[in-house]
Amino acid sequence: MESIQQRLDELIGEFADLDAREKLELLVDFAHGLPPLSAEYEARKAVEDRRVHECQTAVFLWTEGTADAARLVAEVAAEAPTVKGFVAILADAINGRPVADVAAISDDMLERMGLADVLGILRTRGLRAIVARVKRGFANHASAAR
Amino acid sequence: MPDYVHPELLVSTEWVAEHLSDPTVRIVESDEDRALYTQGHIPSAVEIDWAVDLQNQTERDYIDRAAFEKLCSERGISNDTTVVFYGDKNNWWACYAFWVFKLYGHTNCRVMNGGRKRWELDGRQWSTERVSYPHSHYTAQEQDGSIRALRDEVLKHQKAGKQLLDVRSPEEYRGERMHMPDYPNEGAIRGGHIPGAVNVPWPMNCNDDGTFKSAKELEKLYIKDLKMKRRSPTIAYCRIGERSSLTWFVLRYLLGFGNVKNYDGSWLEWGNCVRVPIAKGAEPGGPAAAAGSSSPAVHA
Repeated sequence: MESIQQRLDELIGEFADLDAREKLELLVDFAHGLPPLSAEYEARKAVEDRRVHECQTAVFLWTEGTADAARLVAEVAAEAPTVKGFVAILADAINGRPVADVAAISDDMLERMGLADVLGILRTRGLRAIVARVKRGFANHASAAR
Repeated sequence: MPDYVHPELLVSTEWVAEHLSDPTVRIVESDEDRALYTQGHIPSAVEIDWAVDLQNQTERDYIDRAAFEKLCSERGISNDTTVVFYGDKNNWWACYAFWVFKLYGHTNCRVMNGGRKRWELDGRQWSTERVSYPHSHYTAQEQDGSIRALRDEVLKHQKAGKQLLDVRSPEEYRGERMHMPDYPNEGAIRGGHIPGAVNVPWPMNCNDDGTFKSAKELEKLYIKDLKMKRRSPTIAYCRIGERSSLTWFVLRYLLGFGNVKNYDGSWLEWGNCVRVPIAKGAEPGGPAAAAGSSSPAVHA
């Protein structure tokens, strides 16, 4: 199976060739593809502190799974399709692949996708913060499992 | 019941629905999350994005006059077009775009009261169609300095003890909300507020459905309770001048303040400046408070 970075490279390539409007349309497609939380996670959301407080948008993240199969579960408010689409892209690349790969996700993915110019500096920083949060979450998850 | 001083600047979703194909009207969406426009916008509306379209990408400033003319031309906006702004989050970015249009002297600007939320609540239709118009001819005015405050002016204004309004959250105002790991958006080195500024968080201007509060409620808030004066020069600020554009709109057009400016540099500039005064905590502080105390005043 391909690594997380290989899958991300494919996704980045899909975005890179599109014009600005097409990039946003593809991002919205990903946002629509992020599944709603299962009943189990809905229940956990009520009792666990999973809100990403740094985000203005309501974002809830779980970084878990086994060493061989990472699992990123997320809920993002419907009024934030950019964040939702971006989290869906990360989940696509991460889920079912080795946790150890997560740390290698490159920080310049937004530039390579060409999304940095479409979204502007402040929004790009916000999304980068989510990447950092996901990486940190999996690093903590891996060290707790050890 | 008192009405707004300029009620004609607000239009309803119904008015917009009736003017979708009116060639003298251009509907403009401006959002916090620009993918919202892509996901579904008011039919015939164009998008103007605050970060990509209205900001100079090199210097920290708005686009210049020539770029503004190009922006309008590309969206088929002429000097006599009635431009109606709407967006997400209680229209805060819509007011930001409105303000930039006023900065360059556009005459006929309106805000669709309630923005995306009200359009949705009214059960109106969204479109994913790409919208484009033939290019128009547009001539912008020089920037209108009467609505924009730059740092040095804010400093003078502050020292003189004139009306200052901080529209951020109480946590930001008090200087508590500075620890934001992984989220450098709030990239100011110091927390707090400009001494003398009173805190009216921007959501207090709006109802739950995104519309503006009534004239009576707004008058109570600013004029009765805070004793602000319509004729006194007033400066509003927030983090980057976005939330304060909404408050600027409320003060200038709904309440009829004669001289109100938006400090777009806002906290991201002030909180990083060397030797500007800062107050912490819930009290405004400032020249008036300092004059009555034995502690030395802060000099910038």
